[in-house]
Order: sequence, then C-alpha cells, then structure tokens
Amino acid sequence: MQGAYRDGARVRAVEVTSEGGGRFRVVVDGAELQLTAEPLEAGRLRIVTAEGVAIAEVTGAGNRRFVRLGNLDFVLEREAGSRRRASQADGGLEAPMPGVVTRVLAAAGDAVKKGQALVALEAMKMEHLIRAPRTGRVKRVNAKVGEMVQGGTALVELEAEAAG
Amino acid sequence: MFKKVLIANRGEIACRVASTLHELGLRSVAVYSEADRGALHTRIADEAFALGPAEPRASYLDGGKLIEAARKSGAQAVHPGYGFLAENADFAAAVEAAGLTFIGPTADQIRAMGDKRAARALAAKAGVPVVPGAEAADLAALTRAAAKIGYPVMVKAALGGGGKGMRAVHDAGELAEAVESAQRVATAAFGDGTVYLEKCLERPRHVEVQVLGDGRGDAIHLFERECSLQRRHQKVIEESPSPAVDEALRARMAAAAVALGRAVRYHGAGTVEFLLDRDGSFHFLEMNTRLQVEHPVTELVTGVDLVRQQLVVAAEGALPFTQDQVRARGHAIEARVYAEDPAREFLPQSGELARLRWPHGAFVRVDRGVEEGDRVTVHYDPLLAKIIAYGPDRATALQRLTGALDEARVHGVVTNLPFLRALLRDGAVRQGAFDTEWIGREFLAGFTALATAPAPELAVAAVALAEMLGLAQGAAPASGNGAPASAPDPFVTLGHWRHPGLG
Repeated sequence: MQGAYRDGARVRAVEVTSEGGGRFRVVVDGAELQLTAEPLEAGRLRIVTAEGVAIAEVTGAGNRRFVRLGNLDFVLEREAGSRRRASQADGGLEAPMPGVVTRVLAAAGDAVKKGQALVALEAMKMEHLIRAPRTGRVKRVNAKVGEMVQGGTALVELEAEAAG
Repeated sequence: MFKKVLIANRGEIACRVASTLHELGLRSVAVYSEADRGALHTRIADEAFALGPAEPRASYLDGGKLIEAARKSGAQAVHPGYGFLAENADFAAAVEAAGLTFIGPTADQIRAMGDKRAARALAAKAGVPVVPGAEAADLAALTRAAAKIGYPVMVKAALGGGGKGMRAVHDAGELAEAVESAQRVATAAFGDGTVYLEKCLERPRHVEVQVLGDGRGDAIHLFERECSLQRRHQKVIEESPSPAVDEALRARMAAAAVALGRAVRYHGAGTVEFLLDRDGSFHFLEMNTRLQVEHPVTELVTGVDLVRQQLVVAAEGALPFTQDQVRARGHAIEARVYAEDPAREFLPQSGELARLRWPHGAFVRVDRGVEEGDRVTVHYDPLLAKIIAYGPDRATALQRLTGALDEARVHGVVTNLPFLRALLRDGAVRQGAFDTEWIGREFLAGFTALATAPAPELAVAAVALAEMLGLAQGAAPASGNGAPASAPDPFVTLGHWRHPGLG
C-alpha cells in the first residue's frame, strides 16, 4: 500500500498500513507515524497522533490534492507516470504558466544558443521569456502569436543533443 | 436616478456594483464572455448579455458590443468598474454619444489623467508636488534624461496604470531593455507605446486619497488609503487610515488631492495617488479616474458606499453630502486573494474551485467574484476576492483579518492565501513599518523558503489516508491542466491500496 506525491520539487513516498480499528501505520519518506484516522464529512479527517489531534481537510482536483492541516495549506500532486520527465528529456520547453504567446522568436531548424529567448508569453501584466536551456537546434515550434496556452504546454522542442 | 444600469465588467467588481444597484432598487445588467458563461456576476445580475469570445479585445474591451448590450437591455447608464474600459476616454465618449450615461468622469478628464505626463502637468499647475521626471522621444534622449535625473529611474507607460508597463532601472545598461519592454507592453495594453521616466524615490510609501467631485468644481475627500504593501507594483494589502500619516500630514495630502479635483472640475469618484517620502514630503504619482480595487477600506471607515455616490453624482450632478459630514472612524484592512502560486513566482493559476469557503466574521466583508464549483480561467485578472476586516483600531482590524484569512478555504486552485497569512503575521506589517519595496526586499525570500519547504509528514499522511478512505473525491481533471489523462493511476494499479477491512 504505497504511493508517491510530488511536493514542490520533491517526491514524497508514502506507505499506509491499516492496523484495524481506525489505527494506521503511515511511513512518509521513511519516517513512521502511528495514528488513528476517523473520516468526518466532506473530505475531512480527524487524525490523532501521539502529539495530539488534528483536523485535515483534503480536496482532490485532477491529480492535485489540496490539504488543510491546522491553519496551514499544502498542495500535493499524485505522481502519475513519467510523461513530463520524458518531455523534458526531449528538450521540450514548456510554458511555465497559462498565458498568451506574444512573440515567437525562433523557427524549426534555427541554431540557438543557451539562454537565447525563443518565445515570449504574456501572463497578466508581465512578459515571460522562454529561453533555450542549452545550445542546440530547434526541432519544432508549437506556439503561434496570439495563442492562449496552458501551463505545461511544450512550446518549443530542441533536437536531441549531439553526442560529444 | 437611473432605473437600469449595465455593468461593463466581470468578477468581484461586477458583483459588488450589482449589490449597490439592487440595494437602491435599480435593475442590473451583466455582460459576459464565452469564458464567463454562468459566472457569478451573471447569476447575481437581473439580466446578462453575451459579448463574444474569451479574449478581452473581443468581449470586455469591445465598446461597441457593450453599448449594443446596454441598448438592447434598455439600461440608461453604464458602470465600468475598474480595469477593462474604466479609464478609456473613447469608450466614455461613445457611451455618452449613444445617449447613455457613463458612470465616471468625463472623457476629457479620463484622457487628461490617463496621459500620465499631462496629469503631472495638471497636478503641478494645481500646486500639487510631483516626482522629478522627464519625457523624451527616443532611447538616446531617454538615456541622457535618465543620467540627468539620476538612477534608479522608473520607466512608465504614458497611458499606463496599475503598474502595467512599469519598470525600475538601476543603471544605464538596463535602460534599453526596460524601455523596449515597457513600450511593447504599453502598445499591447493601451495601443500607445509612449513611455517616460520618473525618479525612483528611495523606500517610499504609497498613500492615496479618495476624492469625490460634482463635476462643477466642488470636490471633497474621503481620507487616505495606505497601499505600500506591494509585490512588483501590485498592491497586496491596503488599509485606511495609513499608519504613517498623522493629522497634519493627512490634512495636507487631502488638501492637495481636493485642489487637483477642483482644478479639473472632477466628476465622480477618483483617487489621487501619492508617494510619501521618508522625510514626510509627498509627491503626486497619478490620478485614477475610476473606482479602485481597494475602495472597500474607505467605505468601512467612512460608512460611505462609494458606488452609490458614483451613481448619485452621475444621475444628479451633485454631491450628496459636504466635507464636514464625512468622518472616518476605526481601521479597515483589505487583502487581495489571487489565483496565483506564491511558491512558484506567483504564476497565475486556473482550474475548478472544488472547495470554497469564505470567512464569516462579524467585522469581515468579502467582495467575491467566485463561488464553489466555479472555474478560474487564464483569460483575466486572477483576483478571486477581497477580504476586508474592520476594527476600532489597527491591531484589532489586523487580528480580525488574520483570523478571516485563516478561516478561508480555497481548494482546487492554488491561491496566494499562504502568502497573505504569513504577511499579516510579520512583525513589520504589524508595526506598520514598511514601504513599497519592503515585500520584495525583506519578506519574499524568507517566505519563499517557507513556501517551498517540504510539507509536514502529517500533511502527506493525511492526503494518503483521505485517498485510501475515499474522501478526496473532487473536481475531475481540468482539460489541459498538464495532467496527462492517459497516465496510469498508481492508486488504481496498486489495487491493494484500499484495505479490505475498510470495505
């Protein structure tokens, strides 16, 4: 009974074992918690640990899990396959946020230098430049001026890095 | 008074304007783009008219469509809210030309104040101190002017506002890029790429004065708002009164604001923004010819409904009360709740508000644009709501706002609530000891470290437990939110995740 959640830049491994009677053994990144958990209404959970009682409120939204614990909020994301990592390995340059493409500064076949601006996105009141992470050749540009893009959309793909 | 008013806006401000219309027994007409079909402001209004595609230029910025909707609905007046066409002189003129009333200043006043250079000249003429600055036609001339003013300088769009197109430049090497970027943003946003320079005051505070003018030369003020807590020139927390302003300074700033209002025969509600220097001198920044986002703090301390006064001035051309009748009492503080991720450089967020609960305190006001189940899209400003608390003094108001922010639940879309909560607990904020650059200079790094720290193990455990117990059911994955729909679900493939004993 194990799973993993992305927590910002980290991946958190978690393993839950039910010990009956609402008692659970939960191991998060190797740290063990002994607790009892009682489901309340609407995604709320009453958790009792050796240190005390906490009410957690958990809401799912796509792969995201929003959790309120005490007066703090956290957002975790269920690890769901390796597609994102594969895309980055391909040299895909993703939109860091939803926005509108304002300028396309590179075309397929262009040789680009590391740090060179490839696409400009306007989100809210700021212009964000998507820059080449390394020197290489543009394989494909998936952005058009005026186009609305979602965060995570691969806007530019670079050719695989030549060996040597 | 009008019988029916079209609200040429969306989100929380459209909802807020509708409330006053309904209170006065007037009919409200909402407008919406395709992205806002069924949005809260359309549900609150008596009628709603579709404008067109999500892109602002094809909907909320299309004056022709707005006037057409007003005509069709039989509205006699148009309230522009803030943003979009609120400070567009051509729109104000077109509304009037169509035989409708524009609830706001005259087109000429909008034009004069919208051109920040012309506004500076008007302020100076009215005896209001202005920030040293310069205009120039090209980069070479701007470079010479910047050297003369002395770095750092601020590059501003002549037709800018709300920080749009504004860039601080610390040395000559940065100027070209800043000017080019400001010109581009200004051209895209305002259709005019003209920029000018202003000297950057060191660690100034932003204090603004609310004014009301009858359009015939009389104007009054409704005291000041302190808006120094800003991140990249975007206000985050606003309050009234300012903890940095004493009675004598308040009187001088208010007199300057009223002098400008009278000089231009200002019509309606407006705000004169000042930079307050550390030596107690203040300088005209700009005049906003509209209702401000932060107007509720003024409403709470004065008991005056500013939207109602806008309607009265527009309909009757007279101020409903005199300066002597305006009193400020107590303290009000507002926090802006945005759909943006404070742990990831405040990137705007979208998605469905799977769980949403606004606070319910006795001295708490929530101006909201969304309810649970609504979607937040990428098309518009990500402001979800403003939470405003009132108290007899600043400490009480702060305590109430802190409690209200803790009480708020927004799940499904990442918000800046953790940022606001941390901000209000900071010692400098509690003492009122900050300036417009304080967040970026002294608060942000520490906050970011905190926001990007690992979640406590108990939080991770709670999520896993909720999932195991089948409690975390929420919104379906939003289309295109980056979550690959076809990816294997680890909690399905790990079939034994659900313990048989839990049935």
